[in-house]
Amino acid sequence: MKLWWAALILSFGCFLPTFGEEESEARLLVSKNILNQYLVEGKDLTVEYKVFNVGGKVAFDVVLNDNSFPQSSFTPVSGSLKATWERITPNSNVTHAVILKPLKSGYFNFTSADVSYLTSEESKERTFGYSSFPGEGGIVPQREFDRRFSPHVLDWLVFAFMTLPSLGIPYLLWYSSKSKYDQPKPKKN
Amino acid sequence: MAGGKQNKLSREEELLLQDFSRNVSTKSSALFYGNAFIVSAIPMWLFWRIHQMDLYQSAVFFVIGTIISTYLVAFAYKNVKFILKHKIALKREDAVAREMMKKLADDKRMTKKEKDERVLWKKNEVADYEATTFSIFYNNALYLVLLIVASFFILKNFNPVFNYSLSVGSAAGLLALFSTSSKA
Repeated sequence: MKLWWAALILSFGCFLPTFGEEESEARLLVSKNILNQYLVEGKDLTVEYKVFNVGGKVAFDVVLNDNSFPQSSFTPVSGSLKATWERITPNSNVTHAVILKPLKSGYFNFTSADVSYLTSEESKERTFGYSSFPGEGGIVPQREFDRRFSPHVLDWLVFAFMTLPSLGIPYLLWYSSKSKYDQPKPKKN
Repeated sequence: MAGGKQNKLSREEELLLQDFSRNVSTKSSALFYGNAFIVSAIPMWLFWRIHQMDLYQSAVFFVIGTIISTYLVAFAYKNVKFILKHKIALKREDAVAREMMKKLADDKRMTKKEKDERVLWKKNEVADYEATTFSIFYNNALYLVLLIVASFFILKNFNPVFNYSLSVGSAAGLLALFSTSSKA
């Protein structure tokens, strides 16, 4: 979240002085975020892209393409890493999300996605840009994640079942002897 | 001199000695070690399944931990049993004597001394049995509680190997320590 804000403010900062001159052009800012709090090997990971048109005109034929996820490390679950929008009106934004599954644990550097668009309908030259980059993220091995977060109900049940004889048998033996010798006393007195 | 005296010990004296000695018979020692081993081996399940330790990679730690814990738990069983035995013997004295007298009342041939001997023997047996079973129950329960508190609350976020060594060691160590208290 912090990174996203920083990226946004920085981009705004860069463009602010030129606002006056280029107000008539379409200008896109793209943020890329990983929504998961924990990145876990084999568990879904959601990447969200937000495209803001901060320019004064409509952006045409917007293509968002993310090549930063190698196939050896990630497999897509839902959504596409390439998204297109015919037009994005000024002062509006669009959101795109992709769900991926990390195949390996360890650190992964999440880099930026590319965006390209036409600043006006007539223009032939495409404008290229990059999204913000979420940075390095640690992908936790599934084992480690289970160790910390799984409730292990079945394992605890088995544990209870295993401890039962070692607690129950001595207690029952002791109790049977105790009740055998404890009871006659009050009767006779 | 000492050797001569030993031979002259009467059966009653032998019983008394047995009654008050801290040593346990081979049979109850085997029982203690067997029970201690079972209860010491159980944590392996928790660390394997819940703390996700690898069974083969951590085999050395598991074996050493189980051996040390078996020894300490058996030590605690013995101490607690010794302390309890006297308390139970005092408690059960009347009830056992009554039971034995009732049983032996018909036997006219038996002398008073013989009957007393039988009562003493039975009292010893009952106290031994109750002390043994209760000691095993009490120590098992305490060991498991200490272990769970140590590994799942105090050392929760530590490395599993460190967690295993320390929680098994401290649970067994504390158990042995508590057992040496004369108030138990």
